[in-house]
Amino acid sequence: MAQSYMTEEGSAVFYSKVPLHTFSGESENLTGIINLSNSKVDFYIDLTTLETGIEKRDRDMKETLETEKYPFAEFFGELVSDFNPDTTAEQPVTVKGEFKIHGVSQEVTIDGTLQMKPEGLVVKASWILLLEDYDIVPPSLLFVKVDQEQEIEIEALLKPVEN
Amino acid sequence: MNIRKTALLILVTLFGSYSVSAQMLERKRAVQDGPVEDIFLAGSIAGLSTVTALPQKNMNSMVMHNFGLVSGGIEDFYGLDGGAAVRLGIDYGVTDKLDIGIGRTGIEDVVDLRAKYVILEQLKSDKVPVQIAIKGDLGISTQKERRFDYTFTERLNYFTSVMVARKFNDKLSLQVAPMVSHFNTVVKEQNNGKLYNTIVGLGIAGRYKLNNRNALAFEYLPVLGNRNPNTKDHVAVSFEIDTGGHVFQLFFMSGRWFTEQHLLARTDTNILDLDFRFGFNINRFFGLGK
Repeated sequence: MAQSYMTEEGSAVFYSKVPLHTFSGESENLTGIINLSNSKVDFYIDLTTLETGIEKRDRDMKETLETEKYPFAEFFGELVSDFNPDTTAEQPVTVKGEFKIHGVSQEVTIDGTLQMKPEGLVVKASWILLLEDYDIVPPSLLFVKVDQEQEIEIEALLKPVEN
Repeated sequence: MNIRKTALLILVTLFGSYSVSAQMLERKRAVQDGPVEDIFLAGSIAGLSTVTALPQKNMNSMVMHNFGLVSGGIEDFYGLDGGAAVRLGIDYGVTDKLDIGIGRTGIEDVVDLRAKYVILEQLKSDKVPVQIAIKGDLGISTQKERRFDYTFTERLNYFTSVMVARKFNDKLSLQVAPMVSHFNTVVKEQNNGKLYNTIVGLGIAGRYKLNNRNALAFEYLPVLGNRNPNTKDHVAVSFEIDTGGHVFQLFFMSGRWFTEQHLLARTDTNILDLDFRFGFNINRFFGLGK
């Protein structure tokens, strides 16, 4: 049985609140690997692949995140809860590790779920990221200010890695 | 000895943490050869259209206006007393390559329907080095005319152009656009020379980004061949401000219009005589779904 599961096309979404409405940005380029034998969890995403549906807003976001300097958001850590790979039920799990974006690393604990399916391992997680924790200054455009709290959601099917 | 042990310990620790990070996936940038973005900030500069089309399901609502001639001096408050020529318009991205739009200009109550289609997109890899788009505009002069009894057909005017542009680097983009305008009706106001229904011209435009938010841009529309008497080539020089959802364009332009067929056929002020007017466009972009 495979020990490592990997994807290069997971989805990552963030939800941003501005007065009167919420917009979201999405990418299908989430890359990650989960190693069940040593519990290592490693994910990253090229932030320039995030799209919000408005090209100008995308540019603004890339500028805010300084993606030319810091192209990736990444998580490297490990599973700190038990996971039983022998059942196909969705199981709550917790990972702990370093989340890095905009050149700033923070120790984070994230709750999510893992589910073993015939085609691979399905991971889902969501958490709140505070922009100020990562020295990200949200742009204030005219009268509109982006909220400090950004909800992040990831979902991916990781396929078994043979080696 | 102790120092050596410490050094060894540091080495082992370093090596240890190195091997941990070696387990990490290599961080690779996503491969994205795609269309070059942001050749121009908006679908037009002052009055001249650019190769830039709206993304699908995006809408641009435009308020375009200019005032009287700056050469009117302080008595005319440098043209601001002169009353504005205004074009209100909406463009919509049917696909990433096709825009359709409608506008209304206050002068002569011209309503115009327009479409822009990007035939070829410049690619980041330079496999396609230029962006090419075609534009068509149908103007209808809806003004009530006391002297004549126009039929619907007589009220129509047309414009078409082929725009070829290249973004040379992050700052500089240039565009040339052969263009033709046609008016079904031309009205001779004075007894001085022949008026032409069809006029051929060339649109030349450029944009130079000063920083992420601001750019300088220009447009120049020389008439080639036959031209209406006393008309001059239209010129505009613009300062552009991109705020994310808005693009503001503050400019001096010699022409009075925001429809290119009129800029070609009707511009009668010469920027070299310092006959130009202040104007500004507000472009507001909306995303209407994904």
